[in-house]
Amino acid sequence: MGDYVDSDDDYDYQDSDEGCDDEDDAVEGIEDDTEIVARGPSFKVITKESILAAQREVMHKVMDLLWLNAHHARTLLIHHRWDVDKVTELLVENGKEKLCAEAGVPTGNHNNDIPNLPSSVGCEICFDDVSVSDATKMECGHIFCNDCWTSHFIVKINEGKSRSIRCMDPNCNSVCDDAKIKALVGARDPYLAQKFDRFLQESYIEDNSRVKWCPSVPHCGNAISVDDVKLCEVECACGLQFCFTCLSEAHSPCSCLMWELWTKKCQDESETVNWMTVHTKPCPKCHKLVEKNGGCNLVCCLCGQAFCWLCGGATGRDHDWTTIFGHSCGEYKEEFEQKSQRAKIDLHRYMHYHNRYQAHLDSFKLESKLKESIQDKISKLEERDSISKDFSWIVNGLHSLSKFRRILSLTYPFAYYMFGGEIFKAEMTSDEKKMKRELFEDQQQQFEGNVERLSLLLEENFDDYDGERIKDLRARIIAVFKSTENLCRNLYDCIENDLLGSQQGTVHKISPFSIPDIQRIGLKEPLQQWHS
Amino acid sequence: MIDFARVQKELQECSRDIESSGIKVSPKSDSLARLTGTIPGPIGTPYEGGTFQIDITLPVMGKFEWELKDGYPFEPPKMQFATKVWHPNISSQSGAICLDILKDQWSPALTLKTALLSVQALLSAPEPDDPQDAVVAQQYLRDYQTFVGTARYWTETFAKPSSLGVEEKVSKLVEMGFPEVLVRSTLESAGGDENLALEKLCSG
Repeated sequence: MGDYVDSDDDYDYQDSDEGCDDEDDAVEGIEDDTEIVARGPSFKVITKESILAAQREVMHKVMDLLWLNAHHARTLLIHHRWDVDKVTELLVENGKEKLCAEAGVPTGNHNNDIPNLPSSVGCEICFDDVSVSDATKMECGHIFCNDCWTSHFIVKINEGKSRSIRCMDPNCNSVCDDAKIKALVGARDPYLAQKFDRFLQESYIEDNSRVKWCPSVPHCGNAISVDDVKLCEVECACGLQFCFTCLSEAHSPCSCLMWELWTKKCQDESETVNWMTVHTKPCPKCHKLVEKNGGCNLVCCLCGQAFCWLCGGATGRDHDWTTIFGHSCGEYKEEFEQKSQRAKIDLHRYMHYHNRYQAHLDSFKLESKLKESIQDKISKLEERDSISKDFSWIVNGLHSLSKFRRILSLTYPFAYYMFGGEIFKAEMTSDEKKMKRELFEDQQQQFEGNVERLSLLLEENFDDYDGERIKDLRARIIAVFKSTENLCRNLYDCIENDLLGSQQGTVHKISPFSIPDIQRIGLKEPLQQWHS
Repeated sequence: MIDFARVQKELQECSRDIESSGIKVSPKSDSLARLTGTIPGPIGTPYEGGTFQIDITLPVMGKFEWELKDGYPFEPPKMQFATKVWHPNISSQSGAICLDILKDQWSPALTLKTALLSVQALLSAPEPDDPQDAVVAQQYLRDYQTFVGTARYWTETFAKPSSLGVEEKVSKLVEMGFPEVLVRSTLESAGGDENLALEKLCSG
């Protein structure tokens, strides 16, 4: 798999796929198949404190490569969005001089401190003569008075252009030395100088396609860096799991588009609106929505206005069961009934999937509360036996449960879009669709049954169990966990290969299945070790 | 705050070589924050022979009081054509100018005179691919001859206040029954725009 992160990095990291052995086997067969089943790239969490270290690491690579100082390396990297590979590529292609010139890194050597100059210089900005000590010469060789430089820097920082403040000479492309900027701005506004410093640091995250801020609210201060920008789901140190592509909460096995549509649909209750447009009609006089609760096609609004239910037009009151006198609109009847029928079916379908999605989401919320009660049980047990044992298996088992539960809930919106609606309409015949749906539902139901079983086991009141029964519970949890995990993987296989894999040119790539915590979960070590 | 000492020096500098450049900058009122620039239309273009007035406003400070923003010359001067002009990068309605050095490419080392020279250069080298006025730009690309004709007509009509065009307009309006003195003053205040003048005359 080859995508482990070196453990000697000097900042925190989490490996996204610290997989177990049999996971390898299961994945091997399909690995070279398509992009959809490609392994999720590994990722790191960058904390507030380690931004600088992470940035410096990349800068050092470029400094060694091109013999540049830190400031020039940073300018170059900001220009190329922190992509070292791109910089290397361009270096080979265009040579150092062109590479530097394009990014605004001054190449000439003007660094010696204003030699052989008269004691005063004329500043071309304010048109004043100032003494040499009140002027600053940038690396590009241009010299202006400190006051003008400072004003220029402050304007640029406030414009949000801290990351590439160029020289004031209109024909000079070179980026000013950040140390000089900091010193000059700091003398007039120390707070702004600090801000400038922070903007430069944050460039590593904000101008970098491989790094994104964690979208947690309130913000935890962390960022996530991935090795590869392919679609993947990542977990921040704050616990938030999110999709690196669309930055919303983790939504696999739904694709980003499915998830966007689903959340929007749930939000605007568009089905309800849909129902109302079909089952009610606005009164032609007072425009309130009127529902027909029986009777013939002549409907009477509360305001007293009578109208034809079929076409919505105002009519007189004289009628019998079949006709309204002086009114005829029969040809519209058929079309209307079809529309009404379809809206009913659509709503019914949506309710089916939404109810199940919601039910599992509710279980998910309840199960996250289980954590405390399990802790209580553990401390009770430890009090009773006055020995502390390793109970990490149950805590971690719960963690896996919530992961499974979330995946399970998301299989319902997935099915909603996969087997109906517009997205895949043109890509499957209805027979094919039926067959695939049955295959999928079979897998889904098996997975669902196992998730419930795991949930039941984790809720057992093991606090008054003796050692033997706890051992037994642990064995049962492991067994159920394993089969659930297998079923989950099968479900993903089914989605990735049979359902999405067969779609031509589909945009519905999903994040691959991964349980990153199997190693840590403590379910892997032999039973004897625990009961020693 | 605006560096008024610099503006003062710029004005002196500008008046010194007005003969060679033809570019004039003069304050509108007592304050140096509002000025009027005048540029001659470049020779060999449809703008030749016209004199174009440009309103200049110097930025004073940031949007918010607390913002430590320095005004001119660290921020670009705001420039807008006061004379109506038919050009792809200048709005035929408002006179707004689409020119990079007046926006993100501004440098404090540029001056009002150099900026006006750039505007003048823009008149001789339109950039229809980066238009301010889409209608004009489209005409420029699709039917260049008509564009030249319109631009020249606008120059004649609006950029030459003392030309024959005005006399024609005056007599036309006088024929409609307005007193000549009133017609002249109204036409002048309308910037030579015959229709605008007529509107003003009619409304009272």
